[in-house]
Amino acid sequence: MTRWAIAADLNRCIGCQTCTSACKHANATPPGVQWRKVLDFEAGAFPDVHRAFLPTGCMHCDDPPCMHVCPSTATGKRDDGIVTIDYDICIGCAYCALACPYQARFRLDGASFAYGGLTGMANEKQREQPERSGVAQKCTFCVERIDAGLAAGLTPGIDPEATPACVSSCIAGALHFGDADDPDSNVAKLLAENQHFRMHEELDTGPGIFYLNGAGNADQPEPELVADPASQASVAPARQTSWDWRAAMNFMAGGAGTGLFFASAQTAFTGPTPLLPGLIALALVATGLFCVWMEIGRPWRFLNVFRNPNTSWMTREALAALPFLACGLTALTFNLPLLGMVAALFGLLFLYCQGQILHAAKGIPAWRPAQIPYLIFATGLTEGAGLFLLLTGGASLGMAAGLLALTALRYLVWRRYKANLFSTGAPTRTVEVLERFEGGFFSAGCLAPAALVVAGFLLPGLQPILFSLAGLVVFTSGWWLKFTLVTKAAYNQGYAINAMPARGGTGAPGIKPGWTAKP
Amino acid sequence: MDKPGQRATEYVPTYCYQCVAGPDLLQVKVENGVATEVTPNFDAEDIHPAAGRVCVKAFGLIQKTYNPHRIKTPMKRTNPKKGKDEDPGFVPITWDEALDLITEKLSTIQQNGLTDENGHPRLAASFGGGGTPTAYMGTFPAFLSAWGVADFGLGSGQGVKCYHSEHLYGELWHRAFTVCADTPRCDYILSFGYNAEASSGVCGVKRHADARGRGAKRIQLEPHLSVTGACSSEWLAIKPKTDAAFLYSMLYVLLHEIPRGELDLDFISNRTTSPYLVGPNGYYMREPKSGKPLVFDTAKNKPVAFDTPGSVPALEGEFKISGHEEGPDDILWKHTQVACRTAFSLLVEAMCHYSPSWAAEVCGIPAVKIREVALDFLKHAHIGETIEIEGRTLPLRPVAIALGKTVNNGWGGFDCCWARTLLACLIGGLEVPGGTLGTTVRLNRPATSRQASVTPSRDGIMDYPMNATRKENWVATPDVRNANRTLVPLVANSPWSQALGPTHLAWMMQKDAFDPWPKAKPPDVWFVYRTNPAISFWDTDALSDSMAKFPFTVCFALTRDETNHMADILLPECTDLEGLQLLRIGNSKYTEQFWRHSGFALRQPAATTQGEARDFTWIATQLAARTGLLERYNTAINRGAAGIVLTGENYDFSLAPDTAHDVDDIWDACCKAASAELSDGENTDGLDYYRTHGFKTIESPELDWYLYPVIEDLNLRFEMPYQERLKRVGGELSNRLHEQGITWWDNQLEEYEPLPAWHDYPGLWESALEKNFDIDIADFPFWLVTSRSMQYAWGGNAGIQMIREVAQNIAGHDGVIMNAARGHELGFSEGDLVEVSSPLNLAKGRVVLRNGIRPDTLLMIGQFGHWATPLAKGFDVPSMNALVPMLLDLTDSTGSGCDLVKVNIRKLAGPS
Repeated sequence: MTRWAIAADLNRCIGCQTCTSACKHANATPPGVQWRKVLDFEAGAFPDVHRAFLPTGCMHCDDPPCMHVCPSTATGKRDDGIVTIDYDICIGCAYCALACPYQARFRLDGASFAYGGLTGMANEKQREQPERSGVAQKCTFCVERIDAGLAAGLTPGIDPEATPACVSSCIAGALHFGDADDPDSNVAKLLAENQHFRMHEELDTGPGIFYLNGAGNADQPEPELVADPASQASVAPARQTSWDWRAAMNFMAGGAGTGLFFASAQTAFTGPTPLLPGLIALALVATGLFCVWMEIGRPWRFLNVFRNPNTSWMTREALAALPFLACGLTALTFNLPLLGMVAALFGLLFLYCQGQILHAAKGIPAWRPAQIPYLIFATGLTEGAGLFLLLTGGASLGMAAGLLALTALRYLVWRRYKANLFSTGAPTRTVEVLERFEGGFFSAGCLAPAALVVAGFLLPGLQPILFSLAGLVVFTSGWWLKFTLVTKAAYNQGYAINAMPARGGTGAPGIKPGWTAKP
Repeated sequence: MDKPGQRATEYVPTYCYQCVAGPDLLQVKVENGVATEVTPNFDAEDIHPAAGRVCVKAFGLIQKTYNPHRIKTPMKRTNPKKGKDEDPGFVPITWDEALDLITEKLSTIQQNGLTDENGHPRLAASFGGGGTPTAYMGTFPAFLSAWGVADFGLGSGQGVKCYHSEHLYGELWHRAFTVCADTPRCDYILSFGYNAEASSGVCGVKRHADARGRGAKRIQLEPHLSVTGACSSEWLAIKPKTDAAFLYSMLYVLLHEIPRGELDLDFISNRTTSPYLVGPNGYYMREPKSGKPLVFDTAKNKPVAFDTPGSVPALEGEFKISGHEEGPDDILWKHTQVACRTAFSLLVEAMCHYSPSWAAEVCGIPAVKIREVALDFLKHAHIGETIEIEGRTLPLRPVAIALGKTVNNGWGGFDCCWARTLLACLIGGLEVPGGTLGTTVRLNRPATSRQASVTPSRDGIMDYPMNATRKENWVATPDVRNANRTLVPLVANSPWSQALGPTHLAWMMQKDAFDPWPKAKPPDVWFVYRTNPAISFWDTDALSDSMAKFPFTVCFALTRDETNHMADILLPECTDLEGLQLLRIGNSKYTEQFWRHSGFALRQPAATTQGEARDFTWIATQLAARTGLLERYNTAINRGAAGIVLTGENYDFSLAPDTAHDVDDIWDACCKAASAELSDGENTDGLDYYRTHGFKTIESPELDWYLYPVIEDLNLRFEMPYQERLKRVGGELSNRLHEQGITWWDNQLEEYEPLPAWHDYPGLWESALEKNFDIDIADFPFWLVTSRSMQYAWGGNAGIQMIREVAQNIAGHDGVIMNAARGHELGFSEGDLVEVSSPLNLAKGRVVLRNGIRPDTLLMIGQFGHWATPLAKGFDVPSMNALVPMLLDLTDSTGSGCDLVKVNIRKLAGPS
């Protein structure tokens, strides 16, 4: 089997960005889009400082998280290891960009020109790529060159015409391309002869770019976490920009809606299904989905979201939404409590999928902990209970008791989530955002509503207002939590270098800039 | 041959010579007549030292061609007032109108005389550095040659921002206009601020990467951790302008701390002037009859002429001998049995002060490290080893020292160049495989061969074309505005010499008269091409003011910029991918271009010409025809002014002198002559061949990389360590200047030392600033330095979006770099808006905090500060050029200064 891979010799790379530019030429990428780029790392304190340059881009992973999460099957993987994107299928949801721990994917809506304007320069007009508008794009390993080269009897990695443009253009001989599975290939030999590492190996994606680090470093230790590195914004985790409030609304409204419907459905066994909360619940879920529809780059391809039930939680969420909305609406229209319960279960499935959506996005450390699906799930249920109390005037003792229990559960899961996240390390800015959030969330979002519920039990005369207020607070804090998680705390993985290249000297430990661990 | 656009997709071979480290070969992908992609030229993989690759800058050429901000028609100024705040009011005109306007001015000069009442040429021309514009200006040099005298001394960075001391002393000592390691064979390189990874081009980058690949070590000494420092084995954060102290301390270790026998005594004794005996007045003791310097022959126990066969000269010692000394202006001192010491003994004594512990205090590097480096330098020299190259056995000394800008120019540059060359001599590593090499000659002639430029002198060293300092032939009245031949004997008188003179003096003399010389007048006509001195020189505000007073400026303009803001005429010339020109390639050139082939490459139109841009050769021909210089112009081309002599023993492709030839015809003749030159007249492939293939080369000997063989063949010596010739020339120059009553060059005259002593250069800077600006230097606690980046080094890339975009991936392109700990200590945060002020001026920018810089140093990368260049004027990135004053006190004897000033920094606002 062929496994195309790049071996990047850090001992040789000088950070000149010739490969970056050659890639931009070969692939006609617009301003700001760099399928290949070279990062600039600095480690140590004056005067013992080391600096290194690290080419990066799509890693064409063995187990690409971008492919698994893709709801449309636009992202695929060839037998030769190349991860591909079918621009004609992609809906532009940018989920893949969030799942990629290497920040290798871009989505650009509409045309963008080097010097602005509406039409661009002659070369830009000549090489317009309208099919890339609004969809995901990334390094292709110059697959056309490889395929054409192979068809012409050339050897990728040896014959420059059949080799990715970045590698062919490298002036330092730092980049090598070849079949890692062929022991006689250039890349396989380099890997056999040199110490090497792969970025973010701990994420088990099996990246296809290997970093050669010379023979001087006997071991390749884990990079040192540097919480607040000097001027390394370009390599430290950055807040994700793929999903904004519209995507967050899907989690907020979807969670609250499904939770509310579930809460409403419980009361159907003791009386008629309350119409208003049920309708509001359905409306919330629909609103969330509408918001996310507004965010995708190719909204009229939305039906492609159903193409990947095998691995994509986004597809599964969409699939759960359909029976939920259908059964829910039918149950409410015809007052069918049992169908309402079925709808509620689909709602819970929808809610669970939402948690898994975040969990599967490997590129966002704040979403990766195993507790995130439970946190999303508990938050949705809690919001639902709170919203139910609010909409029904705080009339249910049982729901109030349930709210108390769910609020406590939500906080416990939150604590567990946070402890886990911090102990394994997280982007410093994520930690800062969540630490700031913690104080208010505990007191205003958890303690206060719990006190209101307890007060309601102690002061029966004030129960409606106290329970309603508690519901409002819990609902609000849930949205606050999810908005924070999906947007404000959602810093990407950033980059790391396991060891600074020796370059004939002694080398130095590598760094993972902008990361903090709190064991 | 199909012209561009006649096929749907084609690859057009051409070259890139945007930076001095070129030329390199590339191909341009053209789709439907539109240039869309730059690719390496893999057809050149076997003949180009970097295997046909080009650097990031070449990839900017597509945007450069189609830049919407390009000037696409000739334009004339309508606002007679000139100044930074004046709108030039450029309006489009036809080529006929533009050429008529220029011709009118040129004709007036022809009528009034080519020089003004001061003796300065009325026509001046400023081109970008390194001679690279010549690779783009077609036959314009032939027009200038036909014209007669022109002033090329209004610099745009030359002299103050080039390897100035290295150029001059390098050519003097080993025909080395630039110096570099024999990187492919070198195992240990000491690099004092030499920014190989940013500025040595693709050949340098590949050579150094290959060296790292085989385990070579490079120690980088500079105040900040540059890209090159990053790619080195070790970074030593030396204090600015103290490099000479480190080098002197290395000399101390080699001369005072290790047994003498560990040095390459054979080389020192027989290939340097170390054994020459120095008389009481500091000049060589000479044999009365022949005038040759004397050595003390230990075999015969008596002084003999240095070249006496069979003699075994004493390297060290004091000997009582007779002879005479030859001083300045024919002063002769006759001595009988006077005590004389060898030059080497004097060196040993002179270096006795510079121990590592002394140097540690000066340059901020621990003594133990200095000693370690010196001993490693010696250890890696492998003294005694040899290598066979092309059948000749040569010494192999895989150790070298490279010097970068600010180290090898301005005060201290002489010391560093001297110490570097001397260290190479002590281990026998000058101009031998693995060692320290020169690359090319630009002051000595012929420019095509270092070896052929070597001519013996009476003293057994290489002769040198010094500008005359004797009373009878000294150029007492400067013939150009920078007075290069008058003030700088070493700058010689080649076509390059004016631009290497004290170019800032030309600008300073626009403001003030230098007694007794009258204040220089602006040139009547000033041509500007591929340069933007309003950004790239110093004291840029004052420079702009001077330019605003120039009566008629013609700028060949890609886009509007800060210099052509003052122009009267803008001319759009066919740029890199549009013009036609044949260029000589191969052999050894500049920084690290060492080829095993030589020949010619063609630059040809890959893209359809934008707007009304015209080929430079067409423009030159038009100017020649309109000014009545056609015959002289064509004759100049025939003579080789376009880069190739059109006649040879077996061929004659010369152009008819009285005809205005087409661009294609001119270059077809050049191509045929080039083919003929390469084949002794057998092959006469013309333009069509080069259009298709891009280049034609033949093999050239690798032995030509080294000067040692010719030194050995001619039994010459390198002029090290003692600078008797300079001492004499300095004495004569002093006499001449003082005869004119000129005393303002006295500090510079003191630099003509036979054995340079360490001077407190940081202190010199501080005192000069205090003296000239009446400030307390304590108010300016930081050193401000600059550094090049590959993306912006040369090429005029500031207005190219893609270059800006990719440069952002490398830290520091966005502001002023400051040590992170120091910054935090002073309350700075990343991205703070700051004001950096020197005694001269201030600049604003964002602070970039990094650990890889000395706490007492600030760094501004590149040259920005644009206010007129489209795109670049929006960068808001500070440039040190506005902060550096032009001061005579900071001008060394070669007429160069360097990028260094003291500044303060204060916070204006937080991050945006």
